Amino acid sequence: MSDAMREDKRVFLMGEEVAEYNGAYKVSRGMLDEFGPRRIIDTPISEGGFAGLGIGAAMHGLRPIIEFMSWSFSLVAADQILNNAPKMLYMSGGQFGCPIVFRGNNGAGGQLGSTHSWCVESLYSNVPGAKIAIPFDPYDAKGLLRTAILDPNPVFVLESERLLSIKGEVPEESYEIPFAEALIRRSGSDCTIVSFGRPLYFCLEAAEQLAKEGIDCEVIDGRTIRPLDIDTIVKSVRKTNYCVVVDQSWPFASVSSEIAAQVHMRCFDDLDNHVFRVNNDDVPAPYAYNLEQEMLPNARKIVEAVRAVTYNA
Amino acid sequence: MPSATTSPSKKNAATALPVDTRRRWLRDMLLIREFEVRTMQAYQNRKIGGFCHVYIGQEAVAVGCTAAVEHKDPIITAYRDHGHALARGMEPKYCMAEMYGRIGGCAKGKGGSMHMFDKRNNMFGGHGIVGAQTALGAGLAFATKYQDEVIDEKQNTRVTLCFLGDGALNQGIFHESMNLAGLLDLPVIYIVENNGYSMGTSISRGTTMGHEITAKAAGYGMDSAVIDGMDVLNVYEGMKPLVDRCRETSRPCFVDMRTYRFKGHSMSDPRKYRTKDEEKKYESDDPIDKLANAMISDNELSQEDYDAMVKEVRKEVRDAMKWSENSPEPDVSELYKDVYVDEWGPFTGTSLPEMLKD
Amino acid sequence: MPIEITMPRLSDTMESGTILKWNVSEGDNVSSGDAVADIETDKATMEMQVYDDGTLAKILVNEGESVGVGTVIALLAEEGEDPKDAASAATGNGKKKDETAEGKDESDESAEKDDAEEKDEKQDADEAEGKKESESEQSGETIKTERRTEPKGAEQTSSGRMRISPVAQRLAADNKVDLKSIQGSGPSGRIIKRDVLKAIESGQETAAAVAPSARRDGEKPASPITRVSPVAVSDEGPGPLEARTIELSNMRQTIAKRLVESKTTIPHYQVTVTFDMDPLLELRKTLNEQLAPQRVKLSVNDFLVRACALSMHRHHEFNASWTGDGIKVHGEVNVGIAISMPAERGGGLVVATIRNADQKGLRTISADSKKLAEKARTRGLSIEEMIDSTFTLSNLGMFGVDNFTAIINPPNSAILAVGAALEKPVVRDGQLVVGHEMSGTLSCDHRIIDGAMAAEYLQTLRQFIENPGTLLV
Repeated sequence: MSDAMREDKRVFLMGEEVAEYNGAYKVSRGMLDEFGPRRIIDTPISEGGFAGLGIGAAMHGLRPIIEFMSWSFSLVAADQILNNAPKMLYMSGGQFGCPIVFRGNNGAGGQLGSTHSWCVESLYSNVPGAKIAIPFDPYDAKGLLRTAILDPNPVFVLESERLLSIKGEVPEESYEIPFAEALIRRSGSDCTIVSFGRPLYFCLEAAEQLAKEGIDCEVIDGRTIRPLDIDTIVKSVRKTNYCVVVDQSWPFASVSSEIAAQVHMRCFDDLDNHVFRVNNDDVPAPYAYNLEQEMLPNARKIVEAVRAVTYNA
Repeated sequence: MPSATTSPSKKNAATALPVDTRRRWLRDMLLIREFEVRTMQAYQNRKIGGFCHVYIGQEAVAVGCTAAVEHKDPIITAYRDHGHALARGMEPKYCMAEMYGRIGGCAKGKGGSMHMFDKRNNMFGGHGIVGAQTALGAGLAFATKYQDEVIDEKQNTRVTLCFLGDGALNQGIFHESMNLAGLLDLPVIYIVENNGYSMGTSISRGTTMGHEITAKAAGYGMDSAVIDGMDVLNVYEGMKPLVDRCRETSRPCFVDMRTYRFKGHSMSDPRKYRTKDEEKKYESDDPIDKLANAMISDNELSQEDYDAMVKEVRKEVRDAMKWSENSPEPDVSELYKDVYVDEWGPFTGTSLPEMLKD
Repeated sequence: MPIEITMPRLSDTMESGTILKWNVSEGDNVSSGDAVADIETDKATMEMQVYDDGTLAKILVNEGESVGVGTVIALLAEEGEDPKDAASAATGNGKKKDETAEGKDESDESAEKDDAEEKDEKQDADEAEGKKESESEQSGETIKTERRTEPKGAEQTSSGRMRISPVAQRLAADNKVDLKSIQGSGPSGRIIKRDVLKAIESGQETAAAVAPSARRDGEKPASPITRVSPVAVSDEGPGPLEARTIELSNMRQTIAKRLVESKTTIPHYQVTVTFDMDPLLELRKTLNEQLAPQRVKLSVNDFLVRACALSMHRHHEFNASWTGDGIKVHGEVNVGIAISMPAERGGGLVVATIRNADQKGLRTISADSKKLAEKARTRGLSIEEMIDSTFTLSNLGMFGVDNFTAIINPPNSAILAVGAALEKPVVRDGQLVVGHEMSGTLSCDHRIIDGAMAAEYLQTLRQFIENPGTLLV
């Protein structure tokens, strides 16, 4: 973010607690000192207001980065981020684009209860006009965010609260990670596992366990949901003949159901079993630790799904 | 902080402004009126689909407010937006073709009646969801100020006019926008076109403090004004000092613009919620007649001039309809255009409407 | 020209309206904006206003009547126009107007027409969609797709449904594996990839294998012959035969299909020669004695494989395939040999491929062919071991057969059928002596090979066989 702000004065950051508090999750640490209060702007708890403000500013040529402390809170701004941002270019017949980045934490964080545990990717990816990126690690977080800021369309960057604490190698210099380029995090020949963001850690864990059982899994990090790199997924499934999609949102009309549908359409003749899905359970997020853990995708569920899809159950 | 209610007398205004300026406003109002009458006709003849809200009766507001600002100042409004687009300088043919759903429309036929955008004329659209544009208005003001002060490192030079209906007063987003505008010192003027009804619900039935909506502004530390919107000279005189002050101080303000829509909320509104007498009373307060009569009686305009003006405007609108009729329907390839700026998957990038290609 | 006033659309859903009341009469002056009638719509009662100034010349739809949106309901004489003229102008096409006035008829008619048009449009749209669908795999028109394919699917499933995964089906089709013989190990007996792979590995049946074997069926129909063996007869005398229908094995089905195809589409003809086998048998005997310590035993067939392969270098057409619009001459010489399957493996025949037979010595050919035969009869051949033959050799010599003809194994252009090397009286240097002769019958595809070419090939072959020393170098 700081790199982009140094290069382009049109870029500013706005959100709850981004400035004086250094960000609720310390993402924007030190940025207020460098860029000052005109470009690092604290807002009241008023998501609809500042989301809409950002969109208006983007229509007039700025490149706002709007931070939601949690994507769970973006729902009160749904009209702005779903009705205005992604449709402006279309409604105006190509006159007004909306180059804006919405970012924030996404996903069940740990006993936060039903309203604070949203995974919005399935809900939001239903709407054409916006792009959605989900970084897996610090390296991707930096590269995908930079691409998002440079993108002329609205982009939702769904970070994971649980990944923020993970440290990884991040180059000093600026770099972009192009959208619609999935990354094979682990290559294998027996079963394809597709996921985004945090659940990928569970996928990799599951893959190690399965390797010991003689099932060699290929784990694909989609990186962006819109645009979706279905080609990489299809290529892998053509090789393995099996596919499991791991998605931390609810199963009904979800990212996983979309990928499953596309895989079935694109490589039906290469499948030896229907696509299996591992999702959040179809219930509101519970508070109790054990129940919440049971509800989320985890390595055990993924292992079971892979065994089942490959007829090794 | 609550401010003076401005209502300058019509006489002062009339004498203070050049005759040509007032003639132009009269013509602009006539154009909007004729345009909207023909819009109704076209809608009833099934040339126009969907929802359609006409501006008849409120012409003085758009014309007067637009006159009070400069061309570089952004304007944004809700769905009753044809008047603002025309007042801002959009050619009637682009506006009409948009409603006809033709490629020649300002949004290539993809927006419709509620979405009149004109980049060249800094018209940031009509918007369909009640109140949603108030946050965008704050954002436009934020952007102009940011561009002037942070990027160019100069003083703020622009003012944003954000129109809304009295119905939007009860939407949460309106209050969030007012709060942010006050908090961040945004140069935006929220103009409530208070025609007394949100669809069929009178303001007294739907809005607390409906008799004194400037009370809403007081809560956000904003200056406010009540202006009689049925008189274009009055609108201009009322708005001008607010605009100047807003530009200078970069502080938002709020206007209770009293007006009346002569027709229904939309084309399918039988207006059973109000009496014929009430309608008659306001119709006799027609802003067009008012200005025309005043100018004729002051010998600033002859009856012949006026008749000629009416004829000219009729022809202009008729031509716009003909042009729209002849404009082709958008090619099916437009379906996947303008979803994303770039091309990917089935999406084919973006292109500008004919209006901006001239 | 009078101005036509039409039934307005007064709501977004309105299709027709009823005139409740005319607020003006014929001859009245009206001006733009006047509410001239009250109209009942599907939603409410609304005022209808006129958009032009003039005199109401004629009312065409009376109070209480209902007409469709867009129907002319009145005529307006413009300023300067005589209302009477306007009215009569109206009645000029007056008939039509009267009909209109009668109400429903015309609107119904137009409604019908609209419906029809709509239907057409819908069909067009459907078709367009269909096109789009096939063009872009990405579109999510799954329901459409299903509907489109339904009739086909129904036909297929009516004949008994088989549970099988898509990739297993494809794999089986590619390798000509008969699915009916496979027991699915997936849920509800679904045949999955693993099952098909197993079937292929066990060599149970592949088309490639079956077809060659079929052709060769002359060569080694071991089981039929066993059944008719004199041992059986001498044992117990002829018992009564039991009438029965033998269920077709997959291999049998494939043999049937492939051979009918070959025999009915390839113009076969045969050329037969007799080879003097004495030199070859002598050489073989010598070699085998020398090689015995190494446990190598060359068969007559091994010599024939090499001889056939080497002959290809002079006669390319025998190592070729008919492609429909050309003749494909192959770069490798792969000789297929027919191998009979034991009864406990279901009988039948497979053809094993000895690759690059022209590049291999007798020892290698011998080793290859023994290995293949052994594997075919025990574990079954892999696909790899059964495909790509360019010429086939069928040998029934071990059954004492004199001579026979074989059916070409597509896509080969020829097949050589050989019998046993039999002891016979032969004329050598004008003397009648005892010698060994073997008959060889070449079946050729006349689209590729003419009679003289066949004769020349056999001549070359004879040179190799009767001067077997050349096969050693």
